[in-house]
Amino acid sequence: MATRSVAVSTRRPREARLRWGRLPAWLRFSLLLAALIALWQAYVSIEQPDELLFASPLAVAEAFVDGWRDGTLARATWTTVQVLALGIGIGALIAVVLTVFATLTKIGEDMLSLLTAILNPLPGVAVLPLALLWFGLNTNALLFVIANATIWPIAINVSTGFRTVNPTLVAVGRNIGLSSRRLVTDVLVPAGLPHAISGLKTAWAFGWRTVIAAELVFGVSGADGGLGFFINNAKLYLQIPQVFAGLVMIAILGVVFETLFGVLERRTIVRWGMKTS
Amino acid sequence: MPTSRSRLLVSQDRSGPPPCSDRALLRVDRVQLGYWTPRGFTLAVGEASFEVDARERIIVIGPSGCGKSTLLKAIAGFIAPVGGTITVAGRETLAPGPDRAVVFQEFDQLFPWRTVLDNVAYPLRVNGAGRRAATTSARSFLDLTGLAHAADRYPHQLSGGMKQRVAIARTLALEPLILLMDEPFGSLDAITRARLQRELRSILERTQTTLLFVTHSIDEALVLGDRVVVLGGTPSSVLEITDVRDVGPPDSPDYAEMRIHLRELLAIEGREEDEGGHP
Repeated sequence: MATRSVAVSTRRPREARLRWGRLPAWLRFSLLLAALIALWQAYVSIEQPDELLFASPLAVAEAFVDGWRDGTLARATWTTVQVLALGIGIGALIAVVLTVFATLTKIGEDMLSLLTAILNPLPGVAVLPLALLWFGLNTNALLFVIANATIWPIAINVSTGFRTVNPTLVAVGRNIGLSSRRLVTDVLVPAGLPHAISGLKTAWAFGWRTVIAAELVFGVSGADGGLGFFINNAKLYLQIPQVFAGLVMIAILGVVFETLFGVLERRTIVRWGMKTS
Repeated sequence: MPTSRSRLLVSQDRSGPPPCSDRALLRVDRVQLGYWTPRGFTLAVGEASFEVDARERIIVIGPSGCGKSTLLKAIAGFIAPVGGTITVAGRETLAPGPDRAVVFQEFDQLFPWRTVLDNVAYPLRVNGAGRRAATTSARSFLDLTGLAHAADRYPHQLSGGMKQRVAIARTLALEPLILLMDEPFGSLDAITRARLQRELRSILERTQTTLLFVTHSIDEALVLGDRVVVLGGTPSSVLEITDVRDVGPPDSPDYAEMRIHLRELLAIEGREEDEGGHP
């Protein structure tokens, strides 16, 4: 046995392992996905469940394509992404202000720790009833809920990032004659990037779940409904394939965002050896 | 060849004012250094006075905790002495600056998000060099430290020894008045350490750079130094300033005699220091 990493897999038949493992990753996952969809189709074809409860992959694909063609699904997706981006933007802005205070003063640091300890474990949608009471049935309530869900992971990560910057790097920066401003922009910010990115990732995950949940609860956001509304609405009219199509869209967007974060990380902190991929 | 020890004891004057020379580039004048702990103020360096001439290589040696690194930080301008003055080229060292470029002991003193070339070129741009001039200069100093082939790599792709070479190239490129090195080879394996010592010596001879080098290795001091400042005691003071220019190669009798002498001097403090990586 050459290395520890192969020790586990050698238990399986050698040839099968090699054949599957040698395939490129995209092909492996595409095949698995195709198998899952085939299972799904087989279940629907054989069991023929109530069409008001369960949809076949074909029907879902049809609903998905129709949704994009007539613009309902596209509009819903765009609405959700827009609200989410704005909410995270507001959250990040507030987080940066809090982080600056937390970095500059001890009382700011304590305040941030306290607020994060209280508000971070709170599921985003939990404040939705209050938000509706304060802002009414509109986008502002959604933005408030999303911002609240994203401020804390961003603030705590960025301030940890600044606080844990290797002091030797700061000393080098001062030694080569950096001004205070450039010490922040050229040393502290890139050195804190791994934490900032992981904060943003958490913020995105929190915000994403929160916005869908909030849309499901009270439907309308702004002029158009978002994806959560799309799903709820389809359910009301018993358009089960549309419900599934909405879920598929949510899953696709999730994969897309995770991929974008992956690309961002590979181009920056992984490339610089600040995070092992 | 000098055989008597008295020949090697050059200046040792702890009571009167330090000997003044017009040529001195670095002047450490009755400097006291300390720091605050929860239990109160601790004096690390009780009194230290010495001078370094331009193009001289001076080694500050002493047991762990004798304040030699603190002294280097004060010369670099990171901390202020509680007593006495430190001047470089007549100016007090009140703040850090590129005229006193520092090579630290830690391997992760390079900016991980910059390539090797950019790690060397960036400080030059900070100090007013144009992009082209900075790159050209950085390349020549990477050549000097034998790293031309690694110019486009990122620091995490380098070995510890290579990282320290980049740090040396970065400080040399700044053309400092005095190069400050704080046990830069302390974390290296013995073989790499010996090789880097020899290379550093030849590079400094070529660039005519003034050096203040802090170490606790007697052999490192003898290989690299023109003079050795021995710190010892708690709080520490300068026990001796010794000329080691003529001790010869490590297998010569003078070298051995000086080694024993410095060892005894440091052993007075009751601490056996690790001698890892002597040539």
